Amino acid sequence: MLENIRAALPGINISETSYPERGYHLAMDAGREQILKVVGFFDNNGFCLEDLCCVDYVDHLELVYFFNKHSEPYRVKVAVRLEPDKPAAPTISDIYAISHWYEREIHEFYGVYFENHPNLAYLFLHDGIDSYPLRKNMTKVPEEDKRLLGSSVYKESEDTFFVNLGPQHPSTHGVLRVIIKMDGEYILSSEPMLGYLHRMHEKMAENRNYAQFIPNPGRMDYLGALNFNLAYVETVEKLSGIAVPERALYIRTITCELNRIASHLLWIGAFLADLGGLTPFLYAFDDRENILDILEGVTGSRLTYSYFRFGGLYNDVDERFKDGARAFIQRMWKRLDIYDQLITKNVIFINRAKGVGILDRNMVRKFGCSGPVIRGSGIPFDMRKVEPYAAYSNTDFEIPVGANGDIMDRYLIRVREIETSLQIIGSALEKLPSGPFNAEKVPKILKPPKGDVYHTVESPRGQLGVYLVSDGSETPYRMRWRVPSYSNLMTFPYLAQGTLIADAIAILGSLDLVIPEIDR
Amino acid sequence: MGKRSIYLETKDPIIKFALVEKVLDLARANSLWPLQFGLACCAIEMMSTAMARFDMDRFGAGIFRSTPRQADLMIVSGTVTKKMAPLLVTLYEQMPSPKWVLAMGNCAISGGPFVYEGQYNVVEGVDLLVPVDVYVPGCPPRPEGLLEGLMKLEEKITGTRRFPTPEKRW
Amino acid sequence: MKTLIEFYPVLIFLLVAIGFGVAPLIIAFLIAPRTRGEKTRNTYECGVEPFGGAWIRYSAVYYVYALIFIAFDVDVLYLFPLAVSYTRGGNAYEFYSLLVFIALLALAVIYAWGKGVFTWKRKIL
Repeated sequence: MLENIRAALPGINISETSYPERGYHLAMDAGREQILKVVGFFDNNGFCLEDLCCVDYVDHLELVYFFNKHSEPYRVKVAVRLEPDKPAAPTISDIYAISHWYEREIHEFYGVYFENHPNLAYLFLHDGIDSYPLRKNMTKVPEEDKRLLGSSVYKESEDTFFVNLGPQHPSTHGVLRVIIKMDGEYILSSEPMLGYLHRMHEKMAENRNYAQFIPNPGRMDYLGALNFNLAYVETVEKLSGIAVPERALYIRTITCELNRIASHLLWIGAFLADLGGLTPFLYAFDDRENILDILEGVTGSRLTYSYFRFGGLYNDVDERFKDGARAFIQRMWKRLDIYDQLITKNVIFINRAKGVGILDRNMVRKFGCSGPVIRGSGIPFDMRKVEPYAAYSNTDFEIPVGANGDIMDRYLIRVREIETSLQIIGSALEKLPSGPFNAEKVPKILKPPKGDVYHTVESPRGQLGVYLVSDGSETPYRMRWRVPSYSNLMTFPYLAQGTLIADAIAILGSLDLVIPEIDR
Repeated sequence: MGKRSIYLETKDPIIKFALVEKVLDLARANSLWPLQFGLACCAIEMMSTAMARFDMDRFGAGIFRSTPRQADLMIVSGTVTKKMAPLLVTLYEQMPSPKWVLAMGNCAISGGPFVYEGQYNVVEGVDLLVPVDVYVPGCPPRPEGLLEGLMKLEEKITGTRRFPTPEKRW
Repeated sequence: MKTLIEFYPVLIFLLVAIGFGVAPLIIAFLIAPRTRGEKTRNTYECGVEPFGGAWIRYSAVYYVYALIFIAFDVDVLYLFPLAVSYTRGGNAYEFYSLLVFIALLALAVIYAWGKGVFTWKRKIL
């Protein structure tokens, strides 16, 4: 692999990095003119664009591209250096569809101008902002750019009309606004508008200690808060080289899997409520309250947990937790029959879900989807198997994979994932070792060494990645969160084109979005 | 976008008797219909409050309306950002009176954990936009907390607390 | 005049029905508080300003729904006096003429069914 890359891209500085320390296999430094060639090479060889972000070192800006392959883990980091005033770069949104939004985000936060981009309007920020927020020094937006950043203008014709699937809507799972152009009952085109819940997590990371930032990841995705906590804590541990004791790894696995079950249960309830079936909502929340009781006894909160610390956990688990978890597993296996009878064998649900919203494999690679969306299209890409973390390498489980890529497959995968999680919890409880639950000698004010690291975790929605750049001080220099709902949402305009609006709502529900993690 | 102050012109009803008002207040307090305005994490706790365990429907407040035309209680659950602020004010104005606002969670009360020096996107408290009647603190508040907030609102409407305070256990 | 007296209950029924509908409106007008904000009378569209017009040309396919509506609605309208007068007689001739009448009215619905109005294509484009 390395030889192929070196042969195909001469003249570019390529260096191999140690994967357990850095999280990526290869680091490349490219110039601005070589971006298109490099990206074209990766596209032809079946790589997908995992993340595209920008870091502001004060004397230059650096665009960082992360490429990865679905079939085997091989992560490549490409860094492009840009000059700080009037930075410009060519766009890659015709090669990888997902970079359309990444580039809009970088433009409004850093001021990087992407040539030939179809529409460089605001994504997250509102119209009153007059400086680029994520730059280290205050940089004002120049006047001609302010016109560029204004919201898009819609031209209506006599036959079509525009409808707002607005921020305040029961089916948008948060504050997502979709502007739909309709012809009668069919959708001609749709455009999601984000930013109604932009809570500046990435900017806050630069103003807070590593320890002070621990409550924030839980607020990003409140349904899978422990997975986000795990991603953050493991990234910092990877960078600082802190070793976590065995018992903590197993407990982290058990609690993350319980959280995954809770998130999938809520998704089942909310998804069926979108389709009009209000009964499963009550059943799902009943089971979910059970899990929340178990987790509350250990962590102290019901929804937005901050349970993990650097080097271990906040609290040890006691017998009540273990007994509760075992009782819950017994109960849940029987309850899954209810969901089977109520939903999976329901004629109305099958008619609404089978054959709708089919996402094929090539589009999956272009959009960089992850999670049940990519597994529904037949690619077995699960970070718990591909890049194991915590105690997942010691537990054996099967990843459910779908065949068609329609809504029914994504639903069935999530139900099977609940069963998989129950198996993981059962086997991890058997193997739970005794010992300390916290690493010793972790300083209160943590100062990781200089460098950057990338770590990914499987959240209930897909692949979650954290790219952390540290400059040796006690606050992070740049923390970038690669969230799964962002790339999953990008497929919605493609999937919803030409469908009935009822089917479009079903597709939006099946993607399992949580908007605060998109808006960060 | 940014902030827009509300302009509300209220007129008294044509016929106003004390007895009629008392009966009407009792009726209104017993059947507050919330507007579905879940913004962030607190919305999940609001949904939990409406579910089978902490049933909000037994107090009459179980039907969440999607349209403000049929709602009289707006539970602002979650952070209000500057992009969302004009929409919140529009929805508040589109609700018919009498209407109440319940600010749920720390973000709706005063910006919550997202207020730091140099922040640019969070409105520090929903009472900068609309008049708030009851504040329910917590991040997120427990469902029992939200129910207590509902009881306080009913006490504010009718003048007396109609359900006993749960006795303290410790 | 004698036959007109039989219709007095209908008149009372009519007046009470109208009163039943109008009285809550009057009561609400008298005792409800009135509030008016800047955006109160606007069209509700999830909190944002609606843009684009709503007076568009609809697809021609929707005329068939108007046809079916007429078929169903007028069917029912004609069936009311039919049902009232049917109980008076008792020969088979009335039953068969009723069947023929319903079959003629149902032809419109069967035409629409054959045209494929009841199935929607799941995805265009």
